[in-house]
Amino acid sequence: MSSSLSLRLASALTGLVLLVAGCGQSDSSAPPAQKTGATAANAGSSVMEADLAKTLQAEPNFYVFKTAADLPPGLNWENGANLPEFADLKAKKGGTFHYEISDFPRTLRTVGPDANGSFRGYLLDNVEPAFIVPHPTIAGAAFPGLLRDWAVGADGKTIFYRIDPQARWSDGKPLTTADVVFTFYFMRSPLLNEPWYNDYYKKNYTQLIVYDNLTFATLHPERKPDLPVRVGNFVPYPRHAFQDFAADWIEKFQWRELPKLGAYQTFAKDIDKGRSITLTRLKDWWAADKRFFRGRFNPDRYHLEVIRDPDKAVEAFARGDLDIMPLGLPKYWYETIPETHPEVAAGRILRFKFYNQTPRPDWGLWINRSKPILENRDVRVGVQYATNVALVCSQFFRGDAEQMQTRSDGYGWRMHPTITARPFDPKLAREHFAKAGFTTQGADGVLTNAAGQRLSFTITSAGQAQRDVMQILKEEALKSGLEYKLEILDATTGWKKMQEKNHDIALAALNRSVELYPRYWEMYHGSNAYADLYTQSGKDTPQATGSDANPKPRQVKPNTNNMTMTALPELDRLIEAYDKAESIEDIKRLAAQIEQIIHDDAGWVPGWQRPFLRGGYWRYVKWPQGFNVAQARDLEEFFVHWIDVDEKKEIEAARKSGRTYPNALQVFDQFKRN
Amino acid sequence: MTRRFPFFRFNPQTQKKLQRFRSIRRGYVSFLILATGVVLSIAGELLVNSRALVVRYDGHWYFPTYGRIHTGKEFGLDYAYEVNYRDLRARFAQEPAGRNWLLLPPVPYNPIENCYAGETFRPRPPEWGTKHFLGTDQINRDILARLVYGFRNALVFATAFILLTYLVGITIGCLMGYFGGWFDLLVQRLIEIWSNIPFLFVVIIVASIVPPGIGMNLGVLLFIVVLFSWTGMTYYMRSATYREKARDYVHAAQVLGAGTTRIIFKHILPNVLSTIVTFIPFTIASSISALTALDFLGFGLPPPTPSWGELLRQGTSNLQSPWIVASAFSALVLVLVLVTFIGEAIREAFDPKKFTTYQ
Repeated sequence: MSSSLSLRLASALTGLVLLVAGCGQSDSSAPPAQKTGATAANAGSSVMEADLAKTLQAEPNFYVFKTAADLPPGLNWENGANLPEFADLKAKKGGTFHYEISDFPRTLRTVGPDANGSFRGYLLDNVEPAFIVPHPTIAGAAFPGLLRDWAVGADGKTIFYRIDPQARWSDGKPLTTADVVFTFYFMRSPLLNEPWYNDYYKKNYTQLIVYDNLTFATLHPERKPDLPVRVGNFVPYPRHAFQDFAADWIEKFQWRELPKLGAYQTFAKDIDKGRSITLTRLKDWWAADKRFFRGRFNPDRYHLEVIRDPDKAVEAFARGDLDIMPLGLPKYWYETIPETHPEVAAGRILRFKFYNQTPRPDWGLWINRSKPILENRDVRVGVQYATNVALVCSQFFRGDAEQMQTRSDGYGWRMHPTITARPFDPKLAREHFAKAGFTTQGADGVLTNAAGQRLSFTITSAGQAQRDVMQILKEEALKSGLEYKLEILDATTGWKKMQEKNHDIALAALNRSVELYPRYWEMYHGSNAYADLYTQSGKDTPQATGSDANPKPRQVKPNTNNMTMTALPELDRLIEAYDKAESIEDIKRLAAQIEQIIHDDAGWVPGWQRPFLRGGYWRYVKWPQGFNVAQARDLEEFFVHWIDVDEKKEIEAARKSGRTYPNALQVFDQFKRN
Repeated sequence: MTRRFPFFRFNPQTQKKLQRFRSIRRGYVSFLILATGVVLSIAGELLVNSRALVVRYDGHWYFPTYGRIHTGKEFGLDYAYEVNYRDLRARFAQEPAGRNWLLLPPVPYNPIENCYAGETFRPRPPEWGTKHFLGTDQINRDILARLVYGFRNALVFATAFILLTYLVGITIGCLMGYFGGWFDLLVQRLIEIWSNIPFLFVVIIVASIVPPGIGMNLGVLLFIVVLFSWTGMTYYMRSATYREKARDYVHAAQVLGAGTTRIIFKHILPNVLSTIVTFIPFTIASSISALTALDFLGFGLPPPTPSWGELLRQGTSNLQSPWIVASAFSALVLVLVLVTFIGEAIREAFDPKKFTTYQ
């Protein structure tokens, strides 16, 4: 449940970040007749091609066709040649890898309805190379996935791409700019039935220029220090396999095998609906020996069994039916598969703890500043001191989790250097509550003010997962004279309540993607709190709240992630500057100022995060030196593991004979922060 | 003569029935055990509680069991929240004997406190030394305390449930039987439609939109359960009233000019009381099961309210700590078995067949 929620949160988060910006204009709108041979090749031969040709004609400012001679001279082509590889070149190919999925995918499509499930990682995100891929150990760096190299234009808003001539679809057809043209047509098409992608590909890409079969460029509305990774990290779709793309494509493509650019293909014969799916490694994959792809995608077959109950999945792993298993919950780590488990003690299962570096879901208490008593800053500061997150981290998560300090935790060097979360301190909490007028302690230990109002707030959660944490926080808060009432709603209802800003305090987290720097606009800009906060003239002229020009805003803006209802003109100005900032120095400086204001305003009680991945794997599963990459969000995200087939036989024999191996907890803390 | 069936005084026939109930040993003993449990749970604060029964401090007497909280500052400690009496006792023990002392209940824990402050939250097995007679749950709360207070909540729920369902069910059932005709037909059809609404879905929907707070939630929960439970009673009351209505004393009352309400509640109801009495124990059993089931599914009382269903759920997700599920399960089975024994005995005692021979 929590993963589906965080998926939804993530898409809501990404959806909101898209700002409308000026549309790039170009005067070089050559007629489609002059476009490159590849794109014209199939014109008119199918319904899709006819529609595509029509679209190219209708949008001459977006689809622009030029010749190789038009390529600007003096471009600084990059190919990541100086970056280190992260896989083990000695990795052995072969074997079948066994793992589980918690639910059967509803489709093999990677876009359209129901496609945004967790299985998409095996079809697209983790398997298919994008044009430009962020490097998983060096923040901000990137390497070419489908490209020979790329370059950033002099204006800072254009990216030039040169496709790798060896790039092939799994059916043998080469990857060309014809596929790129189709991809933009496809993603921007209303037939796609996916408004979010339509919108994304319209707002973030203002022009596509095709130079020849292998060279193209994209234009973008804003300069950004990490522009190539932001906009070049997309995967093309095979034009020749979508000839029958039309309004009914969703049903037609539901379970269709499509040509792939990545190492794994999903064949229809390997789909056992409701039970399992097996991926098959391509024997002559075009990128198998390329830098950054060598030593990855190793098992011949990747068998994914549907196991709906997490307890059963852990048991299946302990039996040897699955090869690896994350053991994040303290229950699994300390009780189900502890050090003393027979297979662990015999060294046949190895337990590991891997400290990774990636922004994690930002668990915390989101205080609704628009509620009567919570609008008082002293009350909010009191709430911060009264909430014992440290106890939850140390005693409930048994020291596995640590308290977050700022909103930008997990963004490495981009974090604020000095701000720390307020500690649990009933005395300080009471001081602040007293400042806000809550001085009398009632018969039940809850503070009241002169008007007889009780210091009592409801904590809302979306789902049962945090039930115990909430009960612990409630008991601890009473020490400061603060009463928490607990409202545990189901995921949909709870999330809706928070999005409509009807909560007092929400216990929630937004999933955060691996990006160069954190986002603030969605969570903290005033326009995401009140629809009538700013005048029609736009967000560049913020009016102070409560002024004559714009009386105190009343119209709550629902369905945004500003769940603290923060609307501070000064903060808004900083966030706008932050979103427009073009250099890393500016971004860092503004982020620090923003963090300081957020901290002082005390609207978000920093929660917890677990700074590592942990779990177990059977001894015959092998990993590179140092286990995994710094930004790995799960064990298989970068496919750097492999199966030692010979050792697997040996271990299976050992389970019968009782042979044991050295056993020790594998700790990989090279990416650990103090 | 008119005072022959006073509402709350037993007539000789009823007394005979009660005597017969006492003679059915299994049911009677069950009744005594359950009654003792009820009385003990009502006095729960005196037996299972983190607050001391008596504190003697600096020449003053304190009786903190009921009433307002006493802060640490009142006992010379440096905190303004409720004093921890177990720590206080440990501190008094170090002082010169006799000056300050306090008396704790036999189980010195309340159902919502973390009993191991500063230690890991995990289930702990039963231990007599620490007075965790049934162990602790996954966030260090005493299981016995949660069982006792959970039992009390279930009893409150069951009592209110019986009063409400019977009030509605008996009234409507009697009216159906008394009036008969189109009223009877119409209400019967309505009841048939009503009882086909899926109860659990309604609970899920309502549970997701009601605001929290124990009073509110117990009330809402009760309301929903009653809403779907009153129908069963109507059938029995309808047929019983039909039967009684044809008797002479009802006609006599009608001739004397008694109103409908008076006839139903003063004349007919006392005569069908035995039917109701035999149902009560089974209604208690079903209402406790219903509350437990709802809590188990997470649609019951808001946390941290102690409840058996919540304990069962914790138990099933922590099977490596069998004392949680064992405690809750045994308690539930014990109470339901006792109630069923009582119910059987009452039914037997009130069975008219004892005095009739059919040929």
